[in-house]
Formats: sequence, C-alpha cells, structure tokens
Amino acid sequence: MTKNKSGIWSFFSSVQLAIVLLSLIAFFALIGTLVPQREAAAEVAGLISPGLFSLLDKMQFFDLYHSVWFFLLMGLLTVNLLICSLDRLPMAWRRFRMRPSSQNDDVFKDCPEENSIRARADMVQAANAAASLLKKRYRKFIRTNEADQVFLCADKGRFSLFGVYVVHLSILVLIAGVIIGSVFGMEAYVNITEGETVNAVNPRRGSQSLPLPFSVRCDKFTVELYESGAPKTFQSDLTFLKGNQIVQQGKLLVNHPIEIEGFRFYQASYGAVPGGKATLALLRADGRRDIINVGAGYAFELPGKEGTFNILRMEENLMKMGPAIKVVVRSKKEEVSFWVFQQIDKIKQTNPDIIQQVPIFNPGLFRPYTFTLVGLEEKYFTGLQVSRDPGTPVVAAAALLLICGLMMVLFSYSRQIWIRIDQKKEGVRICIAGRSYRNKTGLERELQYLIAELKDNLEKSK
Amino acid sequence: MINTTILSWVTFVYFASFVFYLFRMILGREFWGKLATWTALAGLVAQSVALIIRWKTSYDLGMGHAPLSNFYESLIFFAWTIVLLYLLMEWRLKNRSIGVFVMPVAFLIMAYASIAPGINNRIEPLIPALQSNWLTSHVLTCFMGYAAFTVAFALGIMFFIKQAAGNDSSKSGAFIRRLPSEYQMDELMYSCAALGFIFLTLGIVTGSVWAHYAWGSYWSWDPKETWSLITWLVYAVMLHTRLVRGWRGRRMAIMAIVGFACVLFTYLGVNFLPSLHSYMT
Ligand code: HEM
Repeated sequence: MTKNKSGIWSFFSSVQLAIVLLSLIAFFALIGTLVPQREAAAEVAGLISPGLFSLLDKMQFFDLYHSVWFFLLMGLLTVNLLICSLDRLPMAWRRFRMRPSSQNDDVFKDCPEENSIRARADMVQAANAAASLLKKRYRKFIRTNEADQVFLCADKGRFSLFGVYVVHLSILVLIAGVIIGSVFGMEAYVNITEGETVNAVNPRRGSQSLPLPFSVRCDKFTVELYESGAPKTFQSDLTFLKGNQIVQQGKLLVNHPIEIEGFRFYQASYGAVPGGKATLALLRADGRRDIINVGAGYAFELPGKEGTFNILRMEENLMKMGPAIKVVVRSKKEEVSFWVFQQIDKIKQTNPDIIQQVPIFNPGLFRPYTFTLVGLEEKYFTGLQVSRDPGTPVVAAAALLLICGLMMVLFSYSRQIWIRIDQKKEGVRICIAGRSYRNKTGLERELQYLIAELKDNLEKSK
Repeated sequence: MINTTILSWVTFVYFASFVFYLFRMILGREFWGKLATWTALAGLVAQSVALIIRWKTSYDLGMGHAPLSNFYESLIFFAWTIVLLYLLMEWRLKNRSIGVFVMPVAFLIMAYASIAPGINNRIEPLIPALQSNWLTSHVLTCFMGYAAFTVAFALGIMFFIKQAAGNDSSKSGAFIRRLPSEYQMDELMYSCAALGFIFLTLGIVTGSVWAHYAWGSYWSWDPKETWSLITWLVYAVMLHTRLVRGWRGRRMAIMAIVGFACVLFTYLGVNFLPSLHSYMT
C-alpha cells in the first residue's frame, strides 16, 4: 500500500469522476431520445442547412449510441471502476479480516462511556458470560486470552462487504459483453415466401447481403386471427439445409426463437404476396364459358384456338381497386394487352365510364372473349429477424452478477461486535464496540441490547 | 364490467383514506389514523379482488393474460403497488404520517385511469409479441420499483415542507410537528430509493430477456428503454452521492424528486416519442 499515489491514479479512483461520468452518460442518452437517430435523422435534414447537417453527421450526432463519444465515456467508466475497485479492495479485505487484539485495540478508542460496564466479577467469569451471550446471538465467536485482557469478537454478514465489488464487477462484465456483441455480432432480416429457400440475409447496417453457412426453407406459414382481425399467433415451419441434407426443422413463433450454429432466428413479421396462380373465366359472345387455371409466365391456348395468352403481371391490389392481372393475347392478326379486375362490377358501379376512359381496363378487348378474374391465389411470406450475438451469454452473466451483488449490498449488512474485558483492581471493565458499514441504527440497538443483557447476567450470577 | 365498477369505487375509498390521514395530521387524534389505515386496507383488498376478477375474466374470454397489458391496467397496478408498499411501510415503521402524502398519489392515479379521455378499460387480446411470461415479470418488477420511487418522492416533498416551515418546532403548526424528523425522512428516502433501485434493475433485466426472445436483441435503444436507463443512472448517482460523498437531507430530497420526474417521463412521457412499448396506439 503506497501512501502517495500518482495524480492519474487518484483521478481515476475518485468517486466524483464516477458521479460525473454516470451523469454524462445519462445526459447523452437523453439527447439521443430527443434527436432523431439513424434512419429517422432524415427528418432533421430538411430543417437545418445541409452544411450543418453534414457536420453534425460527421460528429456522429445522429448515431449517438454508437459514436466515438459514447465509447469514450464507456471507456472512462471502465477505467474508473477498475481503478476505484483496485484502490479500495485492500481496505475491504482488511475490514473483512479484522480481529481485535491488544495490537489493534483502536476499535475501542472512542468507545463511549455508556458502552462500557464495570462489574464486581473476575475476568474469567465475565468472559464466560460474554461468550455465552455472543454464542446465543451469533453462534460463532472468537476468543483471545491475554495476560490481563480478554477479547471476544463475533460477526454476521461479513461477505456483504464484497457486494459492492460484485456490483461493480458486473458492470465491467456487462461492458465486455456489449463490446463482444458489437464486434462479433450481427443483426439482419430476411423475407421468405412459402416454399422458397434462401441462403443469405440482409444486415441492418450496410447494403451487402450476408451469406449464411446453410440455407433456410419456409415450408409453411400460418396465421391465426382474433375476431377483431388482430393477429393472435403466427408461425413459420422452417427447414434448415446444408447441401441437400436437412440439419434442423422447427416451428418458429413470436417469442420462441430457433437457434442454429450461433444464429438465432426470430419470427418478426409477415405479409402476403401474389402466389403466381390465378383462376380466369373466359366468356365467349355465344355464351360459352370456360374456366382456366393459369400461372404467371406461361402461355395458354384460347379455348377456340384463335391464339394464345400470357399472364404478364399479378397485383393484389391495383390502384386500390382490388386484385387484377395483366394479360396479353396474341393471334395471327394482332396482339392486345389489358388488365382483368376481379371486382369489375363494383368498379363499374362507382365509375361507369372507366372502360371508355381507360381502354386498357376493358376485359373484352380481344373479341369475342370477355375475361373475368375469378380469384387470385395468395401466398404468405414470413419476415425473419436473424441475429448472432456471442456477447449475449456474457451480458446475461453480468445481469445475474448485478442482481446478486445488489441483493448482497442492500438486503444484508455486515456487523462486527467486539468485547474487551480488562482486569481492574476493584473488578472488571467490559467495553463493547461494534462496526457496521450500513445499518448504523440497527447496530446501536444491538449494542444497547448486548450491554443490558450482560449487566443482567453479571448481576444475577453474583 | 364488474371489475371496472369495483375499481372506480376503490378510487373514492382511497380518497376517503387520504382525508382521514389529513384529519389525523390536523386534529392529532389517533382514531382518524386507524380509520385511514383500515380504509386504505379495505381499498387494497377490494382492488386485489377486482384485479383477480379481471384476470379470470380474461381467461373466460379466451385471451388469458395477467391484467398488466394496456395503459389502463398498468395505471391500476401502479396504484395497487403504491398502496401495498405504503401499508407495509406503515406496519413496519409504526408511523402514519407518510400516508397523507402517499394516498393522494394513489388516488390521483386511479382517478386518472377512470376518467381521462382515451383510456380504454376493456380487456383486450394480446398481440403475439406480448404473449410472454417475461412480460408479466417485467411489468411486475418495474412497477414495484416505481412504487418505491413514488414513496421516496412523497418523502422528498414532505422534507421540503418541513424545511420550509422552519426548524423552530414550537412555532410551527400541529401538522408540521407530526411529520417525522428530518433525519428519519432522510433515512427512509434512502431505503425507498435503494429498494426501488433493485426492482428497477430487475425490471430492466427481465425486459431485456423478453426483448431477447421477442425481437432478437436484448437492447435496442428504444426511447422507453433509454429512459429507464436514464432513471436507473439517476438513482445510481443518488446512492453514490449519499454513500460516498455524504449527501444528506435536502440534496437527497432533490435527487428523489428528479428521479421521480424521470420515472414519470419513462412511464408517460415517452409515449409521445415513437416506441415499441407504446401503450397508446
Ligand atoms: C453503472 C455503474 C455503477 C453502479 C450500478 C454502481 C452501484 C453501486 C451500488 C449499488 C453501491 C452501493 C450503494 C449503497 O450501499 O447504498 C455502490 C457503491 C460504491 N460505488 Fe458504485 N456503481 C457504479 C459505478 C461506480 C463507479 C464508476 C465507481 C468509481 C469510482 C463507483 C464507486 C463506488 C464506491 C466507492 C462505492 C462505495 C463502496 C463502499 O461501500 O465502500 N461506482 N455502487
């Protein structure tokens, strides 16, 4: 233990610095909730001059929580915590080990008069009375006999002295876990349509897609709704493949992620896409009606062999007028293309002239046929969040340590009781002292109780 | 629904309890204090029954979740934890003078839940992300923490009232004389803040675990998360300034009030910022 510590050491071991740093971090976090961050920063761009915006952007004002400034504060806090703990640990250790003896009876130095008893008893008798009292209250005690003095010492909750160090250590572990996560981790998302397979995901930061060491197939997606239409549950049946080998299969639900090779898959969202299949009704002028199931991209022959038609596009909701598909019909003479709406009757009701105004919306453009869209098959896609964070177990350990440490600090307290018995000419003098780093009121009460009991005992035994 | 009817009655019961505590402080008769305590206890029991009924009803409706899922339910639970914590403290400390500052807070929260426009008191189904036991433990621990901070705040206000009245106890009114001593209030403020700190820590940890399962990352700097961190840091500073710098009394009272302002912002203010946690959608 060196007495004169260097300036840097005392700077970093000071609690003032800790208070300043904690306040600064809180202030930083506060600013970050007021100024739009990351993607949202675009809102600000319109309000201030481009020069100022790019300056602030360079200073990482719009990504505060990942900025150099924030890391700097965290780094300072780490050093502060480390040095402060190292600085104080020897003292805590000494407190932990402290046993009174004639060498260090300074604990009794300012023992007030009301904490001592004078009694007409001999030393052994008094010591035994004190010992049995301590045994009753604390079960274990230590007795040191010297020439004309006896020291007794008992304690409880000695380990709670280290609670604070556990708390502070947990903060260091937490910071380590966060760093591991930000260096080695990644966050990405991917949408997979039912039946499709992907082998790469899109990172949240950066535009390049990231290949996975396996591929993922969405076999099925199901969603269950409440009566109100809000989703109750949704789930994807996923298959993970390597080459053509199935490595893992499972159902993915919200709040129940799947983990594979360090990647965790989360059910995040879903949506519908046209499934590439549609049912068309073809009505001819003479009243004959044919139903044809069609798929995008293929060519189909017209029932009367006048030519062929192709499906060019399929829209779930074209211009807010419902499902529609775009058809091109080719014959020897001509080639026409037009949209076929499912709800053409409804559209005509609200807008009777639409076919005159927009000829391409006329489903009867190729005579003698009138096309009708009977139905469009939809497919779901599942939105997955994919993340890999090797720091998570470290952070979890830190959280556990933090909670245990806080319990140690705040729900238990250490208390040490010392009794010194001196042989005097006319009897013995008993001094009782105690120490508690928390709960001083409790200690006072305890000392009073011990003194009263001891007095009582000695008087009775006379 | 029966549970909301009971809850609106509980609002008046808490108000009555506040009035009785006030009578005790002014008239100095312990009769009023006892009446206030029993009234508050009756309110707490009725509120617990209402919460259980609400819980059961949600199962009968096929939704099956603890009554902690929307803004209305969170307000009700907040008031419940405040009264519970206060009554426990009163019982442990054998001191009734804090009630006159705590009960009005519980009453105001209940009243706000019942009458503020735009607060929906129906039992609603949960969207998938909220269907998690971690949500229940998250909300439970957070509000335990908030309740402890609320009591610390009430003590902070009491401290200032006592100080403003001056130290000369012979001149000050009966009300002031019946407040606990400044030393006692300081100690209690610290105990409440420390208790709240543990619960807030538990709340942040359980929230992170939940986020880890639901969204794939334990921390995403969402405004509500960030504000709970700010609140946590403020109380960490409060504990340090007291323990290591020896701040007491007035400064602790200021910290308790600032901390409570952060709690309120975490709970209500961030709803005006876009967030995953928003109750008000
Ligand atoms: C987020 C970070 C921190 C947390 C959560 C934290 C938490 C705590 C807690 C709970 C206590 C016990 C308070 C009490 O008994 O009422 C404490 C005490 C203390 N903290 Fe921290 N602390 C943090 C950062 C720091 C830093 C950076 C320092 C650096 C100097 C520091 C220095 C101390 C000291 C010296 C004590 C008193 C220890 C004793 O009783 O001997 N803390 N801290």
